[in-house]
Amino acid sequence: MRALCWEGVGKLAVRDVPEPQVRADGDIIVRVRASSVCGSDLHLINGYLPAMREGDILGHEFMGEVVETGPGVRRHRVGDRVVVGSVVACGGCWYCRTEQYSLCDNSNPQPVFTEKLWGHSPAGILGYSHAAGGYSGSHAEYIRVPFGDVGAFPVPDGVPDDSVVFASDAMPTGWMAADFCGLTGGEVVAVWGAGGVGQMAARSAQLLGAERVIMIDRFPDRLATAADRVGVETINYAETDVLEALRELTAGRGPDACIEAVGMESHDVGAAYGYDRVKQSARLQTDRPTSVRQAIMACRKGGTVSIVGVYAGLIDKFPLGAAMNKALVLRMGQMHAQRYIPMLLDRLAAGEIDPGYLATHPLPLEQGAEGYELFEKKQDGCLRSVLHP
Amino acid sequence: MTNGTRWALLGVTAATAVGVGRTVARRRHRHQPERQNGWYVVRRGVTVDRPRDAVIGFWTDRERLDQALVGWAVLEQLDDQRWRCVARDPSDGGTEWRAEITVDGPGTLRWRVEDGPVPQEGRVELADAPQGRGTEIRAELRYRSGPLRRAFGLVTSHEPDLALRDTLRRVKALIECGQVIDTRRDPSGRSPAQEKATDKVREKLMTGGRA
Repeated sequence: MRALCWEGVGKLAVRDVPEPQVRADGDIIVRVRASSVCGSDLHLINGYLPAMREGDILGHEFMGEVVETGPGVRRHRVGDRVVVGSVVACGGCWYCRTEQYSLCDNSNPQPVFTEKLWGHSPAGILGYSHAAGGYSGSHAEYIRVPFGDVGAFPVPDGVPDDSVVFASDAMPTGWMAADFCGLTGGEVVAVWGAGGVGQMAARSAQLLGAERVIMIDRFPDRLATAADRVGVETINYAETDVLEALRELTAGRGPDACIEAVGMESHDVGAAYGYDRVKQSARLQTDRPTSVRQAIMACRKGGTVSIVGVYAGLIDKFPLGAAMNKALVLRMGQMHAQRYIPMLLDRLAAGEIDPGYLATHPLPLEQGAEGYELFEKKQDGCLRSVLHP
Repeated sequence: MTNGTRWALLGVTAATAVGVGRTVARRRHRHQPERQNGWYVVRRGVTVDRPRDAVIGFWTDRERLDQALVGWAVLEQLDDQRWRCVARDPSDGGTEWRAEITVDGPGTLRWRVEDGPVPQEGRVELADAPQGRGTEIRAELRYRSGPLRRAFGLVTSHEPDLALRDTLRRVKALIECGQVIDTRRDPSGRSPAQEKATDKVREKLMTGGRA
């Protein structure tokens, strides 16, 4: 079969690779119909999380059709149209039982890397390097999904592939970001990053009761799309002082909750950003925390900062004093896909959320490398490239 | 360079060397297993999200146990309380281990390696985990090994402590979700030589990891 493989820092190529096989009772094999690029892939492609090996197949946000099931699979049959959560969860450990699926104890067969880096090993993630288990990814014609009964969900009829594909990752991540904020109705929420996850977080915050959502980014087209599709207010940080603007937009209080949907390669303007870039290039810090710092500084006293942008290691100049003295609640994590996907599929079918517009660039698998370039450089108004193997 | 400068440099170098040396020695000391009468003693535990009876049930259900040990070890029952276990380590040229396992009571067992590369014995106890979080499997392993041999074992991933951690992780996974997940033969665009090198990396990332 054909698959998009990582071939070294910044290098991707489509190669012929063997087809996956059912190897455990609970496995299912899915023929991939749509597989989206994701901002967190960029950290892997660009070598910021140095756990990729040449030949690894990328991709973790996908949907498709079941073509084979292991003997222990109960919930799926050949021919089912399914969406698969990107985090792998066994369904049988304490974390899975308490719906904290991205912390599953048994789904990362290679736990040593993350144990050394983070103290404990969280769940494995499909197509997400050897730190996350070394699973083959979804930018391929077929993929093996372990624990198929836990990780795959039937898709409601009538919802297009390029819409439902985002129920795999961008939607649950956005929902969890808003869920972390503990909204009770009427809040002002600020969201850093107008990409797929940020826009889903904004929509989720609205559905959970936020009265106003303010989105921060530097790309006018992304901000315009967010304003148009989600109905948010926008701040372009390249032109406006974000902290001042947020203060004024909230009559001095600051947003009740701040969602960070950017991650370790965040941008900014000014000298502090230059300093971060130099430190990151010299590997004196692994991540650039610009937007996290801003979120903490902007958040109202006693508010919540919710981090779903991906961070890998160590950062510098973390404003712990601001967080401590303003009594902020900090919440963060990889999303618990399996907890949110069924509810999100219902909302998708009911038309409450429609992420289809994120798929600005549907492309054949053979153009995968080009899809990532468009996405990384934000060319041609690209929000997401979605590959169709 | 004046004599004064030379002495100052020498002093700074010596102080740095002593400081670094002490830090390294302390770190090594913290990471050394306890020693008792020539035995290394390590204690490792894992929490299984099942009640104690279910964990004991796993070991007494011969069919499930055999299934779990397929391709890894063979169990032979000697009498009510004693078992013989023969394990083969494929990553070590098929080295054979023979151990006798004795069940001392509900939730307690001992094992002793009778024939294998490293003399070792150990015991396992089960305890209820707090807050209804299942069962703690607590293992104590004693093995004889020289410091050089131990260092070599750590480098080559053949240290009994690493094997114990692997076994506990494996047992936990088998009880909780019925399988030990493996991604070794997942598809990739690697050449056979690259795949071999990646398998070595995988082995390093698997060995000794905890859940």
